[in-house]
Amino acid sequence: MRDVVIAGIGSTPFGRHAGTPIEQLAVRAAAEALIDSGLPRERIGAVYLGNFVSGPLNGKEVLAGIVADQLGLPNVPCTKVEGACASGGIAFRHAWLAVASGQCDAALVVGVETMTHAPTSQTTAALNCAMDNTHDGPSGLTFPGLFGLAWRQHAQRHGTTRAQVSAVVRKNKAAGLRNPLAQMGAALTDEQIAASAAICDPLQLYDCCPTSDGAAAVVVVARDCARGLPRLPVDVLATVQTRGASRIAGHPDLCSFDATVSAARQAYALAGIAACDVDVVELHDCFSIAEIIDGEDLGLMPRGHGGGWAAEGRTGIGGDVAINPSGGLLAKGHPVGATGVGQLYEVVRQLRGDHPNPVPGAAIGMTHNLGGTGVACTVSLLRRGDA
Amino acid sequence: MSAAAPISLLRCAGCGRLDGAGRTVCAGCLSFALEPVEVAGTGRLATWTTIRRAPSQFRDDAPYEVAVVDLDAGPRVTGRLAPDGAAPAVGAAVRARPCDAPYLLFELLPAAPSDATRRAPE
Repeated sequence: MRDVVIAGIGSTPFGRHAGTPIEQLAVRAAAEALIDSGLPRERIGAVYLGNFVSGPLNGKEVLAGIVADQLGLPNVPCTKVEGACASGGIAFRHAWLAVASGQCDAALVVGVETMTHAPTSQTTAALNCAMDNTHDGPSGLTFPGLFGLAWRQHAQRHGTTRAQVSAVVRKNKAAGLRNPLAQMGAALTDEQIAASAAICDPLQLYDCCPTSDGAAAVVVVARDCARGLPRLPVDVLATVQTRGASRIAGHPDLCSFDATVSAARQAYALAGIAACDVDVVELHDCFSIAEIIDGEDLGLMPRGHGGGWAAEGRTGIGGDVAINPSGGLLAKGHPVGATGVGQLYEVVRQLRGDHPNPVPGAAIGMTHNLGGTGVACTVSLLRRGDA
Repeated sequence: MSAAAPISLLRCAGCGRLDGAGRTVCAGCLSFALEPVEVAGTGRLATWTTIRRAPSQFRDDAPYEVAVVDLDAGPRVTGRLAPDGAAPAVGAAVRARPCDAPYLLFELLPAAPSDATRRAPE
């Protein structure tokens, strides 16, 4: 397998893009990434587009081809990729695979979703498609509910407190205030978080990421073909994809997503690094408690210590490891298909030394994208090209 | 004291594996010869949550408790907690109630009489 770099990135702000057709958001992000990369369009050998529910919510399915057509790309393979909330990360992995295997020298990855235009009941029904509806639907389970189940177990087993989980919310919402791409940055107090509307005990409103519209894109190039391109390249050290249980009762451990644990182990081994070598992480904080579980699953802190680390500031900029300095899903929002690619965008900006919330000297970054009930997961490790 | 309602699961005629996930093919040996079998509706509460914002088809039920239960028979299943039982706790004993709705319904058992002797002296 050849070495692959990320040569260009692009992103729209995440938020409300009412009235913008979904393919136009994708085109904006993709064009920005292509221009950023300095690569002529005719060098793109494949397109992978991550998206979750463009059919039900936008009446459009063949987005990969539509976007490639709008961009005037050559007649290359264009593939739409779906893996619930991990769609973007999975699209990236397939683009990496196409280039690393020698199928093509460069590939475009786009992630996109628009959700805010639809009535809440329609959006909820669409989001619930990420569940095994046959088995988890009849009980009336929801996505917040899934994490309510996990939180209760985590509290029981590790003593994780409301205050510790609120520390995650405060950190990410505050970071979002400084990120122009974030939909809902805010300066919140513990009292405000605890007093926000109850969604599913113990989750309150501020423990949940907002629904959002947005698109992000990256251009991956074989390292040997990237010489002379304008941007500092970011090496893709590893990108791993795994599966996990498709229904909540299928998880052997309700405080952990085994797809994440497995993907992280494989990624560290492939990259030849350990968790403590990672400087910056953008992980899947769809809900506040998810950041705690994800951090432990990724081996960033000892099992059961995720809450304590957040409360002690060890996961902020200047701490042991900077987790979600972009504001994460909690502050940026979660345009489902775009999120995984948005995470890559944020980490690349960190490694280029060009992020509004900089992690000084960041050399190695990680992204973690988790779909549905933990049924799909990608973990990617990136390194600054001159590190 | 009423007994627990039985729960219908599937057992593989090929390898005997008990399935609580409604599969049509055996995850142990890929046989399609799965037969319904009744197991005791008893188990332990693994975790639960109270859904306050419900999907539209369950709006009238809200708030309701969704529970994950480890059946004594082996499989882990998802269902609801009856609102009129004892207070839920991780690890508490539960038993299934007969239920017409398309979900399993569990109730918390009252604490066993012997637990009362372990309370701290007043």
